[in-house]
Amino acid sequence: MPFQRFKRLRLMAATVAFGLASSAAMAEQQPCIGNSAAVTGPAAFSGLAIKMGAEIAIDEINASGGVLGKQLKLVQYDDAGAPPRGVDNTRRIALADKCIAILGGFHSTVAVAQVDPVHEIGIPYMGVWAANTKAIENGKDPNFMFRISAKDKWVARFLVDEALKVTKDGKIAFFYENTGWGNGALPDVKAALAAKGKELVVAETFNWNDQDMSPQVMRARDAGADVIIIWSLDREANQVLRAMDKISYKPTIVGAWGISGNLGELAGPLANGTRVMQTYSFLTPQSETGKKVLATLESKYGLKDPSTIKAASGIANAYDAVYLLADAIKIAGSYDWPKVQQALYQVERDGLVAPYKPAFDKADPERNDALLPEHYLLAVWHDGKLIPFAGSPYDK
Amino acid sequence: MSTVAQYVLSGLAIGGIYALVALGFHIMWSAARAVNFAHGDTLMIGGLVAAYLVAIGWPLGLACLIAIVCGGLFGFVLERMAVRPFLGQSNSIGWMLTTIAVGIMVESIATIETQGYALPLPSPGITSSVQIMGAGLYPQELAIPVIALAAMAGLRVLQRRTLIGRAMQAVAYNKNAAALMGIDVNLVVAFSFALASLLGAAAGVLIAPVVQASATMGVLPGLKGFAIAIMGGITSAPGVVLTGLAYGVMEKFVEGYISTSAREIVGFSLMIVVLLAFPQGLFGKREVAKV
Repeated sequence: MPFQRFKRLRLMAATVAFGLASSAAMAEQQPCIGNSAAVTGPAAFSGLAIKMGAEIAIDEINASGGVLGKQLKLVQYDDAGAPPRGVDNTRRIALADKCIAILGGFHSTVAVAQVDPVHEIGIPYMGVWAANTKAIENGKDPNFMFRISAKDKWVARFLVDEALKVTKDGKIAFFYENTGWGNGALPDVKAALAAKGKELVVAETFNWNDQDMSPQVMRARDAGADVIIIWSLDREANQVLRAMDKISYKPTIVGAWGISGNLGELAGPLANGTRVMQTYSFLTPQSETGKKVLATLESKYGLKDPSTIKAASGIANAYDAVYLLADAIKIAGSYDWPKVQQALYQVERDGLVAPYKPAFDKADPERNDALLPEHYLLAVWHDGKLIPFAGSPYDK
Repeated sequence: MSTVAQYVLSGLAIGGIYALVALGFHIMWSAARAVNFAHGDTLMIGGLVAAYLVAIGWPLGLACLIAIVCGGLFGFVLERMAVRPFLGQSNSIGWMLTTIAVGIMVESIATIETQGYALPLPSPGITSSVQIMGAGLYPQELAIPVIALAAMAGLRVLQRRTLIGRAMQAVAYNKNAAALMGIDVNLVVAFSFALASLLGAAAGVLIAPVVQASATMGVLPGLKGFAIAIMGGITSAPGVVLTGLAYGVMEKFVEGYISTSAREIVGFSLMIVVLLAFPQGLFGKREVAKV
């Protein structure tokens, strides 16, 4: 028996050694982009939006010859908003599918968990939704995490500026969900307010699926807040609006983009006037690229009316992300991960969401983010639809 | 004063939902010595079916009625497919796994169907709020605890006055003896599961206008409903209903005076303490098994 055990041990050691060696000498990347996003769970709509945006871009790129002579492919995985699954998907996309890059998903907790495996493997990651500051500003060098989406730090400044425009006596409250995204935003909002010499009158938190927000709303009212900055999803924001309605408290709401899905449908007229930060809207005058994407959304996905498109930012960000990656692959002249990572810093493009000139800046650690605060857009809920704030009935 | 009133009334509303769910657990446990761990999902079935039917133009009342019947049907089918086959052997706990499995499946289907979005269920009960002692509440929320108490009273009448109710009690007391008396035990157990699910779906329909119907709306009420059933003493209907109402109010006070994030910590700690002090639950009777 001892001999057999020894043989088994040796076999195991050989397997491990082989595994290590093969991951070090990762051969032949394939012309695919892997997406790990939430296709199930409470944010399932986000995964579908990302998929739409990425597919439209990939179809266009393939129609004009693909990248480096090959057709590009999208490989879709579901992380269901769970960090361990995001990590697992990262490894699968890189090591099993051997894709060139990873597209990120909706959940910040997943994006933050992906930072380490992405750098262990050394595969470029392109975030298109999750806005957590530290996911991209992670202190790694070289940094493989890129993003075409909002960044909480900048969103906080953007929303604080809007809040200060509206408030009469500078009393601003902050409501945030008890998740990686919400908790990560608290210091950002505090810092943005401190930069303007102000501080929050209250900061209130709540969990997903909480069914009544009366205690939190009453504390905000008692503190005299006339503007509430909110970091949540539609479902919970609806509870906040209803709790306010019940005690006849009507502050102005300024929200991060978690409340850009179907708040208008859930809260009905209570949502009217709720301001939301967006990166993109299909309801503004569209560029040529925008018209083309809208036409495809109609022909391929049956979305006829632009005002019914939910999660426009997610679709548009994913669309641009695929194009920036394709550009980088062409500049690199190879599917090789480190070469593509370097090439991303040289990409310049007139995108759907913004002009990227350049998309990323190697010299500035804040600029692995392609979208800058001046590209953000303020929208507002009005009669069940999310419309651009400029020119809306609330724009006085 | 208005703050305290707000916490009490909001707490009674959410507590009413817990009470209805817990009452369902009580009914199932009494008849079958097993429960449906997918019971929280009957809330979701009730809420979602009603929301879908209203969205395609059905009148609210009829949509809610059909939704509640769908919930009951779900309980009936689930008992037949996922509970009964596993109750044959003594000490079998297969039903735990199978009911949880069915719950996860139903929830996944609902997520695919809704894409994760919550759906509104418009109701006249939430068009405007009413003020009571300075506290603001929707009439819909006020109705919930009242309905929970009515369900408890109704169950008592059913058990005392009707044949099926008496049969339920007989089965709860001793299955074999009941069978020897000519009671169709399987039918009574199936009826209990259906009745419990009817209550669950009704709770879903009641709460959906306030919280919106979504694939995950039943998860937490389902879990807490079970915890409350255990805490209140799963053999006592008034026990679980009163515990449910009290638990809801307690939650609001914790949210109000400590913090929202402390709610589950305090709540579940309390549950453990209660069980240490009262192993049969607050209102439960010790079950004596003669050997």
